[in-house]
Amino acid sequence: MTGAFAQIWPNRVFYLFVLPFAALTILFGVWPILLSIQISFTASASALRAAPSYVGLANYAAVFADPLFIASLSRTLVYTVLAVVANLAFALAVATLLDSTLLERANLFFRLAIFLPVVTPDVAGYVVWRWLFDRSFGAVNAALSALDLPGFGGLSSINTVTASILIAELWHHAGFYMLIFLANLAIRDRALEEAAAIDGATSWQRWRWVVLPQLRPALVINIVYATIQFLKTFTVVVVMTKGGPNDHTNFVSYYAYQLFDQGRYGEATAMATILFALVIGLSLTAYRIGDKAAWR
Amino acid sequence: MRALRRIGSLLAAAFLACAPAGAQTLNVWHDLGDNGIAWFERMSAEFAKTKPGVTVRSLSFPTDQWFGRVISAVNTDSAPDLIFNNYERVIRIQAQTNRIMDMKPVLEGVADRGFLGEDDLRVATFKDRMIIIPMQRVQMALGVRKSWLDKVGDKFPESWDDVRRVAVKFRDNDPDGNGKADTFGFALQAAKPRDLIHMLDLFTFGSGLRHTLVDPAGKVIIDEPAHAQVLEEFLKTYSGYKFVAPDTVNHSFTEMYQVIEGGRAGMFRVGDWNVRKWDQPNVLGGDFISGPWPKFAAGRDNAVVIGGMRGIAIPENSPNKQLAIEFARFMLTKPAQQASLETIGAAVRKDLDVGVLSERSQFFARAQGKLVAYDFPESIHAWYPELEAAYHRKLLSGITNPPADWKPFIADAAREMRDLVARLAK
Repeated sequence: MTGAFAQIWPNRVFYLFVLPFAALTILFGVWPILLSIQISFTASASALRAAPSYVGLANYAAVFADPLFIASLSRTLVYTVLAVVANLAFALAVATLLDSTLLERANLFFRLAIFLPVVTPDVAGYVVWRWLFDRSFGAVNAALSALDLPGFGGLSSINTVTASILIAELWHHAGFYMLIFLANLAIRDRALEEAAAIDGATSWQRWRWVVLPQLRPALVINIVYATIQFLKTFTVVVVMTKGGPNDHTNFVSYYAYQLFDQGRYGEATAMATILFALVIGLSLTAYRIGDKAAWR
Repeated sequence: MRALRRIGSLLAAAFLACAPAGAQTLNVWHDLGDNGIAWFERMSAEFAKTKPGVTVRSLSFPTDQWFGRVISAVNTDSAPDLIFNNYERVIRIQAQTNRIMDMKPVLEGVADRGFLGEDDLRVATFKDRMIIIPMQRVQMALGVRKSWLDKVGDKFPESWDDVRRVAVKFRDNDPDGNGKADTFGFALQAAKPRDLIHMLDLFTFGSGLRHTLVDPAGKVIIDEPAHAQVLEEFLKTYSGYKFVAPDTVNHSFTEMYQVIEGGRAGMFRVGDWNVRKWDQPNVLGGDFISGPWPKFAAGRDNAVVIGGMRGIAIPENSPNKQLAIEFARFMLTKPAQQASLETIGAAVRKDLDVGVLSERSQFFARAQGKLVAYDFPESIHAWYPELEAAYHRKLLSGITNPPADWKPFIADAAREMRDLVARLAK
C-alpha cells in the first residue's frame, strides 16, 4: 500500500487529471457490464427489482439448451469469419490501389467515395440498401433485368440474404479499415521496396514479401476491431431483415434483443454475457496470434 | 437580500395560488399514438367535471417499447397509474411481473355494464384473474381498393375464388394506371411470429373456423380437412400464387403499411383503428371498401374478425390506485366510450351515436358484417406463445422454400406441433 502510494504521490497531478475519466469509464463502461452479468443470474420476473431472486446458472442452462440459440451462435460465427475476411481483403486491395501511383489524379475522390459511407448514419444507409435489394422495385433487380440476367433473391431468399447484408456491411465499414491500412502504408519504409526492386523482385514479390509484412500493425488492429464489430452485428439485421427470412440472419445480438423485448431479461443477459466472453476471447486470441506471428 | 427574499415569497405565493387545490395527475401508458392521446385528453376533461383538479396524462409508446417500459416500471415500483393495451399484451406483462391487479371487483363496482358479453369477459381473464376491463373491441375486415376494383371491372370479393380472380387482375392489369407492373394482389406480413400467425388468424376465423392451431383442449387441428384447405391456400398466397410482394417474408407491420399506404397492394387487412387515418386525403383518401373475409366453404359463414380486446389495467403498485380505479370505471361511461368511438373508432357500448363517423368507420361501429371472435388460446394455454413461435418458423420454412405439394408439408407440420404440445404441456 505504501509502495503504491509512493508511486502515485509524485505523479499526483497526472492522476488528478485521469480521475474524472476513470470515474466515467467505471460508471458508464464497467458498471453496466457488471450489472448485466448480475442480471443473467436472476429470474427474469424479478430481475429489475431491488431484491431479485437469484437462480444460479439456470438462465445459462436454458440458453444452451435452446436449439435456436445454438443455431444463432453458429450463424454469428460463420458470418463473422466471412465478414472479417471480405472487409479486410477489400479494404487492403483498395488501400493498395490508392497507395499506388496509378490513381494519383483521382486519389482524393476515391478516398472520399470509399470513406463517406463510414460517416453516413448506418440506419439510413441500410434502409437504402433494403430498397436497392427489394425484389419488386429495387435497383439491383432492375439492372439485372435490363441486362437479361436472372433475378437476385436479395433479402427474401435464404440463399442470398447473408450475401446481401454482407455487401451492405462491406459498404458501410470497409472505408474505416482502408483508412487504417492507408495510414500504415504511408509510414512504411519505401527504401526496402527499392532495394528489392534492384535485387530483381517482381511487383507481386515486393508487395507480398516487403509491403505486406510492414502492414502487420494495421492488420492486427483491423482484425481485432472487425472481429468485435461483426460478432455484435445488430443494426443491419434490425433495419434490413429482422432476423429473417426464417431466422437465417438471427444473430446472437438480435436474438438477445428479441428476448429483451419479451421481458426475458435473465436469458437475454445470459446470451449477452456469452457473446461478451466470446468477443473478449476471440479478440485477445486474434491479437495474440497477430502480434506473435512470423511474417517473413 | 431582504428584497430578494420578498420576491421569492411573492413568487411562491403566486405559484400556490395558481395551482388548483388537491391537484392530482393520473398517468396512463398506451400505444395508440395521437388518436389515443386525443381520446385520453377528452376523457380527462370529462372526468375533471366530477373530480376537479384531476388530470389524466397519457403517454404513447411504440408497441415494442411499451412492453419493455411497462415491465421495467412495474418491476421497479415506478409504474404508471394505469396501462392500456390489447389483452394479449397485458397477459405478457402479467406473466413477466405478476403485478397486474384483478379487475373483477373494479368491474363489479360499475352498475351499467350489461353491454359486456360473456366473450368479452372471457378474453379479459387470464389464470382466473380479470387482467383488463374491456374497452374497445378490435375488429378487422378485408379491405379492397375501390378505384382498383372499378378499373379492373370487378366487385368486392365474396369467396376465395373471387379473391384469387381479383388478386390476379390487381397484379397483372395495372390497376393504378401508371403503366408499370408494380402492384400486388395482397399486402400481408410474415417477419415475426405474431405477424404471420395474425394473418393466418384472419383467414381462418374470417372463413368461419374456430381455431387456428389448437382447440381449447390443446389438440392440434391444422391438418383437419377444413383447416388444411385454408392453410394451404394461405401458404400459396405467400408463395406460388405470387399475390404478395416478394419481400413480404421480411415485412412486419411497418412495411405492410408502407405497401398499403404506398398504393402497391389492392387487398389488405383493415382494422377499425386504421379507418380514421386511411380516410385522410394524403393516405388512402377513403379509397377502400371493407367487408368480411372470403368464404372458403359453402356450409360455413364468412365474417369480420374480432381479433382482440383492448382494455385498461392497473398495476398493483399504481401510485394513485384508488383514483385509478375510479377512472377505470369512468372509462365505461357513455361520454368516455363515445370519445373512444370518435377518436379510435372502437368501443364496447352499444348505445353510442355512430352518425358522426365516416361511412367506413360506421361499417365497424354498427357491426354491419357477421362477427367472429378469436379463440384467444393464450388465455387458456400458458405454453401457446412458444408453440406459436415454432409454428411460425415451420410455416416460414415452407414459404421460403415452397414444396411442390403442400399437403405432406401440412401433415408434417401437424406432427411436429403435436410433439411440441406434448412436451410443452408436461
